Amino acid sequence: MWLRTFETIKLFLFIFLLVSATHGFAQVKTVRFVDGEGDILNEVEYILHDEHIYLSVESLKSVFDPEMKHSYHTPSKQLTIKTKDKVIKVWMGNPSVNIDDGRQVITLTVPPRIINGQQKIPISFFQEVLPELDDVSVIYKPELQRVRIMQNNSFPSDIPKNNRLWTVIIDPGHGGEKDVGCKSQTGIYEKDVVLSVAKAIKAQSKQHGFSIHLTREQDVNKSRQQRYQIANRFKGRLFISLHCNSSFSQNHKGIRLYLNNPYGQLQFRTAPIPKFGDKDLNIRTQANYLQQSKKFATVLEKELNFFAKDPIVISEFPIIALNDVFMPAVLIELGYLSNLDDTARLSNQDHISELAQTIVRAIQIYSAKVRQTAKPDDQTSAESSNPIER
Amino acid sequence: MTNSGILWDDTMSLFRKIIHSRIFIVWGITLVTIAICLAIVLLLIANSKRTVIQDAPPELPNQANPTDMLPSLKEVNIFLLESTELELTPVRVELHLYAEPTEQLKQILSALIQTTPTNYRNPIPRGTLLNEVYIDTQKTAYLDFSHHLADGQIGGTTAEFMSVNAILLTVFNALPDAVKHVQILIDGKEVETLAGHLNISQPLRY
Repeated sequence: MWLRTFETIKLFLFIFLLVSATHGFAQVKTVRFVDGEGDILNEVEYILHDEHIYLSVESLKSVFDPEMKHSYHTPSKQLTIKTKDKVIKVWMGNPSVNIDDGRQVITLTVPPRIINGQQKIPISFFQEVLPELDDVSVIYKPELQRVRIMQNNSFPSDIPKNNRLWTVIIDPGHGGEKDVGCKSQTGIYEKDVVLSVAKAIKAQSKQHGFSIHLTREQDVNKSRQQRYQIANRFKGRLFISLHCNSSFSQNHKGIRLYLNNPYGQLQFRTAPIPKFGDKDLNIRTQANYLQQSKKFATVLEKELNFFAKDPIVISEFPIIALNDVFMPAVLIELGYLSNLDDTARLSNQDHISELAQTIVRAIQIYSAKVRQTAKPDDQTSAESSNPIER
Repeated sequence: MTNSGILWDDTMSLFRKIIHSRIFIVWGITLVTIAICLAIVLLLIANSKRTVIQDAPPELPNQANPTDMLPSLKEVNIFLLESTELELTPVRVELHLYAEPTEQLKQILSALIQTTPTNYRNPIPRGTLLNEVYIDTQKTAYLDFSHHLADGQIGGTTAEFMSVNAILLTVFNALPDAVKHVQILIDGKEVETLAGHLNISQPLRY
C-alpha cells in the first residue's frame, strides 16, 4: 500500500516534468494579421518549432480567403487547399508547393510540418505563396510578429498629374543652439532626430510625386511665426509637425499624435468667439480643419499601428505648434527620448527611414481619400464652414 | 479747664500706648506685606495678559465672524507622479488653511511646489516660485509663477502637459466651487506656452 502511493507520486512527477518540458519546447503566442487599411484581420496563435514560426491551416482561411477549403490525405501526407479558383498541394516535411497541377511550383524556405498531430504551415508560406494566388503584397515584421496583407489596388498606383500641386508641409520642431528640444540620456537631441525624419520623408516622397516643403532644412532656430508663415505661403494641404516626446516617467513610450482642439481634453474658457470681419477668429486655432485633421490622424494611426510596437495614442489639446496654419494639421511625437527603448529605436537609421516610409504612405492614402471625396478646388470652401463640436 | 486738660493728656497717653504697642506694629507690617503681595500678583496678571494678546493671530480685515479667521487643519490632495506610474496620482497633505480662497490657493500651490515624497516625481520644475494669486469675479484663478516653470521644462508634450495638469488638478480638486478656470502667468505676463507645444494663452478648464 505504502509502495503504491510512492509509485503514484513518481508518476505525477514524471507527467509534470513531461508537460513542462514540452511547454518550453513549443510556446504558444500570437501573430497579428493586418489588412491594407491597417485594420486588424485576426490574431492567430503560433507554435515555435526549430526557431521557425508555424500556424494552423485554418488561419489562412481567416486572414486570406473565408471561402477556402482544405483536405488532408494522411498516407501521402498531402494537404490540398482550394482557394481563389486555384488548387494548391503541399506535403508535410517537403518544401515544394504545387499550384494547379504543376503549372507553377514554388520552393518554400521552411517546409510545412506535423506538430502535435496537426498540419502546420510556416509563416514564410504567406509571403512566398499568397502573392502568387492573388494580387496582394505581404509584409512580415518578425520582431513584432505582424503580417500585413495588402490588396495591390487598394490605393492608386498611378500618380495624378496635379499631384505636384499637392504640397505637404513638414515642420521639424525646435532647432539651433538654444532650442535643442528634449534630449536622451545617451545624448541625442530632439532637433536632430526630427530633422533626419523630415529629410527622409522628403527624399522618399519624390518617387510618389508629392511636393514636400520643410519649414527648416538645417539646424537653425525658427520662430513659430516663421513656421506658420512658410506653411501658409506655400499653400500646404497638410501640415505635419514632428517632435520627440519626454516624460517624468521612464515608462512612458510609444508614438503619440496630437490635434489642435481648444475644446479637447483641456478647454479654453467658453468665451464668445471673437469676430473679425465676417470670419471668426477660430480659424487661428484650427477649429475649421479639425475634421480633416482627424481623418489624417486616423489614417496615420492605422499605418503606424502596423509598424510600431506600442499602441498609438491620439489626443486633442490646444496645441500652440499647430496654431495659425490654415490647413489640416497633426503633431507627431515620434517617441520618448526619456525612455531607453524608444531612444534606441530613434537612434537607428533603419527605424528612421521606416518611420518616414510609413508617414509617406499615410499621406498617400489620405490624399487619395481627399481627392476621391472632393476636387482640389473645394478645399478653400472648407474654411467657411465651422465644424466645432462641443 | 483742668478736666479737659486731663482728658487730653489721657487721650494722648492712650494714643502713645497704642502706637508703641506690639499689636499695632505686627498688624501694620502684616497689612503692608499683604498690600505688596497683592500689588505683585496684580502686576503679574496684567503682564501675563499682555503676552497672551501678542500670541493671538493678526486680525484679518472685512471678516464678519472672528472664528473664520483662524487657520484650521485640513487635508488637501496635491497631484504628483509616482515613479512607476504613467498618470498623476493624488497625495494627501495636511495644511493649516485660511478660510479666504485666495489665501488657500497660495498655501495649496506652495505645498504642491515644495512637496516631493520619496518614490514620487514633482512635475513642477525645481526652483519655481509662486509670485501671486488672484481670483476674478468669473471664478478664474490667475496664478503667477516665476520663470522657472517655463525655463525648467524638460521638453516633450507629455511632460509639459503633466506640469499644467498637476496645477489644474490640484486647484480644481481643492476649490471646486471657488475656481472654474485657471490662467497660468509667468512673472506677471500671459504666455503662449511653457515648452512650445501646449497653448496656455487663455484660461483653461477640463
